[in-house]
Amino acid sequence: MKPKQRGFVLIAMSVTILLLLAAVGLAFDLGRVYIARNEAQVFTDAAAMTAASRLDGTAAGVANANAGVARLPMRWNLGTREFTGVIVEFSADGQRWERAPKDAAGLTMARVTAPANEVEITFLRAAGGPKSLTVPARSTAASNPVRLTQ
Amino acid sequence: MRNKKQRGHAMIELAVSSAVMVSCLAGTFQFGYTFYVYNQLVTAVGNGGRYAAIRTYRAASTKDIEKGAQAIRNMVAYGDAQPGPDAQPVAANLTPGQVDVRWVMDGKGAPSAVNVSIRDYKVDAVFKTFTFTGRPGVEFPFVGRYAPSEREP
Repeated sequence: MKPKQRGFVLIAMSVTILLLLAAVGLAFDLGRVYIARNEAQVFTDAAAMTAASRLDGTAAGVANANAGVARLPMRWNLGTREFTGVIVEFSADGQRWERAPKDAAGLTMARVTAPANEVEITFLRAAGGPKSLTVPARSTAASNPVRLTQ
Repeated sequence: MRNKKQRGHAMIELAVSSAVMVSCLAGTFQFGYTFYVYNQLVTAVGNGGRYAAIRTYRAASTKDIEKGAQAIRNMVAYGDAQPGPDAQPVAANLTPGQVDVRWVMDGKGAPSAVNVSIRDYKVDAVFKTFTFTGRPGVEFPFVGRYAPSEREP
């Protein structure tokens, strides 16, 4: 081997491995990210409808809404992890949202946010990608009749 | 010109690197395809759950309840409650029989929520077969009309 050719295989291998990791990462890591986003969106849809369906103009209705969302059995990360840090908010006009409204009389809308779905990145990280990606989801539902609005 | 020691090295290197490359590509395809199908299933059960949540629950007889459940299964499997004869499943080889529909009843015997999940669904990723049972699954509140004495049309 000529002196100029020494080390070429090492460089070529490094570049190839990096490209290979990127390709594997695109399929594996992004696949998981898309699934997590979809799972979170379906969860917040169900949770917002659950919360809106419990609103009855009383403080007990708000408590029932929170309890109903907490009781939902849905999971994410291929159905293996529970949703954590779920935020349930209520509103009378769709403008001002409160987690613990003092007056429950006029509440007609519920909004649920699942903010903490952090997908760990395995392969893309090795190719210079981030360590993790957070895929939040949010849905809004109105009561009477109960329906998703956003 | 290569010397005697170098002869055959290229062949061995190719054999070793090919094994690594093929394994990587097979794994990439296997997981990529499985994730793709799983994502389709998540969307399908979500659509089925939303449909079940708002449809009228007719319970004049067990036949009516079963007819309603079949419409929900069809919605998950085909994206249509009353699919035509040439309807295609939303995920490869998914059948209505692989969709579980379970109603959650309140103290008065009226439906309060509906659970929709996938049962015994196999993803054939060529190199390996993955089986999903009980997931993906969703639970939506029942917000439709409860008609205990009305018959399914």
